[in-house]
Amino acid sequence: MASRVLVAMRVKVAPARAFEAFTEEIAAWWRPSGLFQFTPKDSGALRFEPGVGGRFLMGQSDGAEFEIGRISRWDPPTELVFSWRQHSFTPEQSTTVSVRFEPVGEETRVTVEHTGWDGIPRRHAARHGFPLAAFQLRHAEWWQILLASLHARVKGS
Amino acid sequence: MPAADLDQTLTALADPDRRRTINLLRERPHAAGELARALDLPAPAMSRHLRVLRQSGLVEEEHPRFDARVRIYSLRLEPMVGLKAWLEETERLWADQLGAFKRYLETDPRDTHGV
Repeated sequence: MASRVLVAMRVKVAPARAFEAFTEEIAAWWRPSGLFQFTPKDSGALRFEPGVGGRFLMGQSDGAEFEIGRISRWDPPTELVFSWRQHSFTPEQSTTVSVRFEPVGEETRVTVEHTGWDGIPRRHAARHGFPLAAFQLRHAEWWQILLASLHARVKGS
Repeated sequence: MPAADLDQTLTALADPDRRRTINLLRERPHAAGELARALDLPAPAMSRHLRVLRQSGLVEEEHPRFDARVRIYSLRLEPMVGLKAWLEETERLWADQLGAFKRYLETDPRDTHGV
């Protein structure tokens, strides 16, 4: 699938501990991201309701909670699958996150697979998904790269 | 970015007046006339440069609603806003989050997270 993001990392704990920390303690380790705000009022307090059908929630500055998605697979200590929507998505747009926990000796390989981005139209991504300032910053970086490669090309010829 | 696109982009940017045009457009969109004045170029020369920039996909042209004769030029965001950009940002997000997760787990919980 073309629109798949796959990121893996090894952690020095057993799968059961990794699964527990990933779900029950997500608010303690998740870092707020300017680009991936779920809503403009994110408080940063993320939580999962354990079990299939449980909600994945982001606390709001006004005390409410935004439902990012629902858990469709809850198999501790091996796998967790949940849906992921940002407030700017239309109701039918959603992406899916699958997290796998595999033992590697005494450690655990945690693999995150995030799919479904091809269902999010580009225009939407540009205008609503990311804060404009963040996009402009990335755009500026893109230009710097382009200009640097131009410079290299010109010097090399 | 595919190599052919990059070649076209670099060709478009190989001219100093076109690079100055890009630098002006990085600040904000400009009308063709404004660009010609800022760069001190005759209108036909400015038009040629803008045509090359437009053909390379670097710059886009639009007409304001109030006057179809006016052409406003701006940098295209398209190269950054496609699916690829989403995927890159998503990958960066998860790499950051898993890094934070790893640091959290590998810090002694009795020191920092005990209750």
